[in-house]
Amino acid sequence: MKTARRMLAVLGAAAAVLLAVTAAAAADDSDKKVVFSVGITSTNFDTLNPIMGYSAVDFDVWNTQYGTLTNKAAKDFAPIPGLAQSWQVSNGGKTYTYTLRDGLTWSDGTPLTSKDIVFTINRSREEEWQNYSAFTQNLTARAIDDKTVAVTSSIPDPKLPGLGDVYILPEHIWGKLDAKEIVKYPGLDGVGSGPFTTLEFKRGQFVRMKANPSYWAGKRPVDEIVFRIFNNADAMVAALKKGEIDAAHNVPSEAFDGLGTTAGMVAVQGNQGGFDEIAINGGAGLQKPHPALLDRRVRVAMAHAIDRKVLLDRVWLGIGSVAQAVSPSADPAWTPTIPPDEQFDFNLVKANKILDDAGYKDTNGDGIREMPGGGEPLDFSYYVRSESEVAPPVAEFVGGWMKKIGIKITQKPTTADQLTTIIGKGTYDMFHWSWTPYVDPDPQISYFRCNQIATAADPGSYNNDANWCDPVYDALYKQQNVELDRSKRLAIVHRMLTRLHDAASYNVIALTPDLQAYRTDRFTGWLRQPALVGPVIFSNTSPTYASLAPIASSGDGGGGIGTAGIVGIVVAGLAAIGIVGWLLSRRRSADERE
Amino acid sequence: MTFRLVGLKVLGALATLAFVVVFNFFLFRVVDSDPVASLFRGRNLTAQQKVELRSQFGLDGTKLEQFGRYLQQTANLNFGRSYTSNEPVMKEIASRAWPTIALVGVSTLLSTVFGVLIGIAAAWKRGSATDYSATGLTMATYAMPDFWLGMLLLTTLAVSLGLFPVGGISDPSSDATGFAKLLDQAHHMFLPALTLTIAYLGEYALVMRSSLLDTMREDYLTLARAKGLRDVVVRNRHAVPNAILPVVTLIAINFGFVLSGAIAVETIFSWPGLGLLTYDALRGPDLPLLQGLFLVFSASVIFFNLVADLLYAYLDPRVRTG
Repeated sequence: MKTARRMLAVLGAAAAVLLAVTAAAAADDSDKKVVFSVGITSTNFDTLNPIMGYSAVDFDVWNTQYGTLTNKAAKDFAPIPGLAQSWQVSNGGKTYTYTLRDGLTWSDGTPLTSKDIVFTINRSREEEWQNYSAFTQNLTARAIDDKTVAVTSSIPDPKLPGLGDVYILPEHIWGKLDAKEIVKYPGLDGVGSGPFTTLEFKRGQFVRMKANPSYWAGKRPVDEIVFRIFNNADAMVAALKKGEIDAAHNVPSEAFDGLGTTAGMVAVQGNQGGFDEIAINGGAGLQKPHPALLDRRVRVAMAHAIDRKVLLDRVWLGIGSVAQAVSPSADPAWTPTIPPDEQFDFNLVKANKILDDAGYKDTNGDGIREMPGGGEPLDFSYYVRSESEVAPPVAEFVGGWMKKIGIKITQKPTTADQLTTIIGKGTYDMFHWSWTPYVDPDPQISYFRCNQIATAADPGSYNNDANWCDPVYDALYKQQNVELDRSKRLAIVHRMLTRLHDAASYNVIALTPDLQAYRTDRFTGWLRQPALVGPVIFSNTSPTYASLAPIASSGDGGGGIGTAGIVGIVVAGLAAIGIVGWLLSRRRSADERE
Repeated sequence: MTFRLVGLKVLGALATLAFVVVFNFFLFRVVDSDPVASLFRGRNLTAQQKVELRSQFGLDGTKLEQFGRYLQQTANLNFGRSYTSNEPVMKEIASRAWPTIALVGVSTLLSTVFGVLIGIAAAWKRGSATDYSATGLTMATYAMPDFWLGMLLLTTLAVSLGLFPVGGISDPSSDATGFAKLLDQAHHMFLPALTLTIAYLGEYALVMRSSLLDTMREDYLTLARAKGLRDVVVRNRHAVPNAILPVVTLIAINFGFVLSGAIAVETIFSWPGLGLLTYDALRGPDLPLLQGLFLVFSASVIFFNLVADLLYAYLDPRVRTG
């Protein structure tokens, strides 16, 4: 009996301590600052150095901290004034002279001048900064005066005057670092020219940014932005519903529809051109695939045996849209429309007929076709990224359909890291992966050139994961690279991607959007980029953060200890009484002493 | 306890550690991979940049040359740089160690205290309602998956009742310092600590109960009762000190696993500890970070096993040798 009382007293004391602690912590600290919190899951910040970082979420920090000469319109990515208020073109379209806004300063008070522009563009070109060289490799900047800078391209560059991907860095900080130091610099100085600058970075936990009073458009009405990492997607959704965060990125598919029907919540399918594809070894790499895959008829038959609609509905729960061609840009205008009679519609009868007519028959009755004239069975290796949620179920579906047309798929689980090596070496037949393109199509379409295939000297060095080579495609690439007329350039890019589609080596399955959700009771000013179809956050230039304003009636903060505090204090009090009572009732008599 | 005994135990531990250091290198290189190509997929790296990155990541040279560099660096407690963050591995581990030590350490202590008390009560009241209910409860909690329990507590206490935050180690937008910050962190730690405490206490309770039941048959307890001592004195001064030996060993061994954290619970509550760091490193895979973590976990287990060995020899003269 006494033991039970003692146990209860100990338990009560422990509970009292814990609850008192939690109750005190639950008390609001009556801080009135306006904080916008974003939950992120399935990804992480790697570094805040805009030269080196590779994680997609890093870009929202850079977009918010560093200004660019031009911005991109939220509606359609068109170049609009950024740090530069205007520009003039000359030299046959190869030189743009930008005039900076009056009174620009960095967040630490140092004037922002053409010296910073010249530093960023020229050093990024000379030192081939990873995230810059695709945009500045042909550019040279020259300061005319503190407010005027001329940027000249060595070739006609259709991306100009847009320099919305070139984050201008403060020369007075980054300029002190040499080429080796600058790529290792963590970028935590918090000096920027954007609407917010970095205040605190805890890797694996959060990035905290504060409003920049020196921002050229004026200090924003939001005091802080916090990007919070959640390792549990369900907890992130719960936090959104509970109000701990105001918006969520990478919402799990299962929760997405539910959030869309929840009062006070908006669910967004943010299309940025991201797509998933099933790639077949194009045969131009270090190792050839199964010989049957070098026959376009076999690849076409396989393309007709993939039911994109079923994959979208069953794997992606209907979120997204089926697609045929590679999407090279967040701007959907750059994706060609494949004519219906040229599309690879799901048709097993057609697929079987193509293979029969091509001479691939099942000569031994085991259900698997062989090479014409007998010989090697059509057994293809299919690499499945085990860390992906969608790759395994897609592989199961594809394997089932291929079996119905007499092709055997041998699944080989692997990781993204290992698969990168395998693709470079060419020791595969098929795999499934995905891409998210930039706004300008050039980077994405550049990957499929012949010179982007891995070489024996360096099998890890490649961008062409299709291992596909088409000299006509390469020639068209060169044309679009210097074509300044947008409609002509569109036509060239469409021709290129139609050729890639027709080769049936790179079978695009679906456009897969970013799934996001936000509360409507706290903030206003949400901007989709591009308009109507794009995401509201983690878009190409993230214009939402500068546009957000708190809704006047929303109560954020306020004093009071809250329900938790009252409950905790009451329990703590009762437990304290119990402990004191037990202590007072305990008496040691002489009889108990040994 | 002789110096020879201690010396032999320590030498054995060092030999185990040496094996782990060598095994650690080859374990993470069984599979052929190219982290540079994977991490920077789609980035237009020049050949020179790739060479520099590979050198930075310690991937240049033959396997033997890499092994030599690895041994030299390990001797200097330099485990290289993380592929994903480019920060020194020891810095990454050090920054994430204290949340794990706090969470798992506190949970281990609480589960030990409550587990032992429950085990004592169950054994001493063998066959009674106390015994049946305590044993049933501890077996249920022991069998319960900790991630399931964590989700249950998260859903009820954090989401439905709103008493606790749904994740993280502190409120990121708070400028609190000192005691206020500590309170905030304690508030965030309550649910994951409660989850682990409930998940772990069953082991201690069942071991304590079993050990005490064996001790209760001993003749010296009969003598103690015959001398007229009260039951509670017989239990606390004669039975429990002898029965607790296996539990002491268990505690020492379990402390070795404190550093490896609780991956599932840290993931559910987004608690930024070493368990979560290991999970993130596996997804890369971030080889230097995995190597460093594996070595730190192994060293911790080896050390506390040594402590358990020596402690047991100190507490129980029957097991001392030489």
